[in-house]
Amino acid sequence: MSDSDFDMEERLRRFAASTRTPPLPAETAALPWAVQSESRRPGFLGRLRSIDPGWGRAGRAVYGAVRITATLAVAFGILLVVGQTRTGGTASEIVVPVASPRQSPLAGAPSGPEVVVLPTSGVVDDVMASYVTGGVSQAEADGAAAVVVQLDTLGGSESSMTTIYKALENATIPTIVWVGPSGAKAASAGTFITLSAGLAYMADGTNIGAASPVAAGGGDLAATYGQTEADKVLADAEAAIRSIAQLRHPLAVDWAVTTVANAQSYTAQEALTAHGINGVADSIDQVVSQADGQTVTVNGAQVVVHTKGASTVTLNEDAIQSILQGLDDPNIAFILLVIGVLCVVVEFFHPTLVVGLLGAFALVLSFYGSGSLPLNVLGVALVILGIAMIVLEPNLPSHGLLMLAGLISFVVGGVAFYGSPGPYLPTATVAWPIIATMAAAAAAYGLLLVRTLLRMRNRAVPVGSGMVGTVNVIGMIGTVEKDLAPLGTVYVAREAWTARLAGEGSALRGTQVKVVRKEGLVLVVEPVA
Amino acid sequence: MFVKEAYLQSDVVRAPVDARDDRSRAIDTRFAEALSDELSGAYRLAGYLLADAAEAQDAVQEASVRAWRGLSNLREQDKFHSWFSQILVNVCRTRLRKRSRQRTLDVDEVDLEGGDPFRSALARDAVGRALSSLSTELRMVVVLRYWGDLPLADIADRLGIPIGTVKSRHHAALQTLRRRIEPATGGTR
Repeated sequence: MSDSDFDMEERLRRFAASTRTPPLPAETAALPWAVQSESRRPGFLGRLRSIDPGWGRAGRAVYGAVRITATLAVAFGILLVVGQTRTGGTASEIVVPVASPRQSPLAGAPSGPEVVVLPTSGVVDDVMASYVTGGVSQAEADGAAAVVVQLDTLGGSESSMTTIYKALENATIPTIVWVGPSGAKAASAGTFITLSAGLAYMADGTNIGAASPVAAGGGDLAATYGQTEADKVLADAEAAIRSIAQLRHPLAVDWAVTTVANAQSYTAQEALTAHGINGVADSIDQVVSQADGQTVTVNGAQVVVHTKGASTVTLNEDAIQSILQGLDDPNIAFILLVIGVLCVVVEFFHPTLVVGLLGAFALVLSFYGSGSLPLNVLGVALVILGIAMIVLEPNLPSHGLLMLAGLISFVVGGVAFYGSPGPYLPTATVAWPIIATMAAAAAAYGLLLVRTLLRMRNRAVPVGSGMVGTVNVIGMIGTVEKDLAPLGTVYVAREAWTARLAGEGSALRGTQVKVVRKEGLVLVVEPVA
Repeated sequence: MFVKEAYLQSDVVRAPVDARDDRSRAIDTRFAEALSDELSGAYRLAGYLLADAAEAQDAVQEASVRAWRGLSNLREQDKFHSWFSQILVNVCRTRLRKRSRQRTLDVDEVDLEGGDPFRSALARDAVGRALSSLSTELRMVVVLRYWGDLPLADIADRLGIPIGTVKSRHHAALQTLRRRIEPATGGTR
């Protein structure tokens, strides 16, 4: 360091020591305590949340929308991967173990014929399709004498149904469908599956049929979709069941068509009389013993079934398949949709990522589940509209009218949530208590939002750098920004103030003026001599 | 303008401190005590950094608000002093940069009496007047060194730059100041 530097240092040191600091105005000193009602900065999620691209209001809205879309995409992607590996048509070829691991592997089993049993229940959907397809393949690979699909369903999606009956038709071993136990149904899509099996049995007290496009609420397909469309769907379903029944028994064709055309439902005895099924059996054991000696068509060839003294092996759905099948429940799909929409709305108003992700999961699960259900688009739209109105209530003062309209829309949407657009789908409705509970939940959320908003409005004004507040400008020197004649603008304390001259005359732009006093928000100034 | 009017008319300068639990009240009290020890020093530093009393008050407020919001980031309580002055220096630096884009302040052009206390204090001496000719970076080093009484190592910490940079800036600042006041004092001493 040179001498001159040292001199300069000394000089600065002395000068700095000689400069005094005016006292900090009381308002400034007091302000930090005023801001304490502001919440402290949150942690990691909070920082993620506070990312602001700084594009103003519209920019933030776009940013929020983009983030919600991204959240939905991530959730959907994860579910797609899970869903594809466990269910889904193409993926069942990629992932081999569709049915759960064998309980009693054939390797150690006693010699003799074996019959593989695949118990199913609930809606005919992708999960059931992949389970049956996988089960049939495994039975073939194990060289089973036959495969029995135990059926109890109200119907399901057409594509899943087609997958199942194609798997049964193309199996290289005899296939059997047993509708049971007593009380079970083979309705809609179930009818098609039952009739497509090599051998079909029903337990006493079970029903088959009602495979027609009659809507759940009593209205018919034509009312919802127009006569032409309804006729097309009906004709299509009739043709399908005609070709399936033809393979069973020529006499069964006309009977089978009535299940579609007239939505007829038949008992086990009636079905047997009409040659629709091969017999009445009250248990798997009876099915196995009755099937022995029957002739079925396998791969175009006539094959005699040998199941005498066969042992039965049951393949159960694995855990994930059970969970995914549980989503097909009409009530659960409805609940998931409501929760999903609410969560996404919450995410929009109070971004937290976590809630949004949960909502996205709920929505995707809901759509997955309702894929095999006769979802009524109008009902879904009404439910979403209802939630939107309930949530908007705090933003648009309507004295509760919006909330009321939202609740009505929600309940009507809930009742009309499911229709019956096809011959394969099951009839489905949302239970009343569930509609009521979810409506109450949505309303409670809306009220909570109102309360929070009111509290925020009544809270103290947060003090930030943008507000100078009670800075004392009297005695300060400023510059005229807009000519004072006598009223104009003065730039003082780094702000533009409305000002007027104390005396007569005028002051031009650029003149230095001193603040004499303050009258409301107008400064009274006089030119600096 | 709208914001200021609403603020002034609302009379809510002090927030009603609503009921909070004892723990957060204890944090409030500790923060209040720690901050009140800092305020006058902070005002002096901000005042001579910005050479503008009104803006210095703003800067102190802003730093206080930021400190309050970011209190959870402060791990060790006894580091409050250096932590707070880091925040303050950051606030001032941002303001100086913003100002350099808006308009220049020159001590010379300001009236000595009745004007800004910091500006008039600086204007009393040639060194003080020369200070305004320094760039933001150099000026910050000088003010922190002589008005903040900080060793160069601490300055490096506050500014978040290497000590070598502080040393070279310090040297450059002294050179500039000397060149600037030499004509005024009539040659080298």
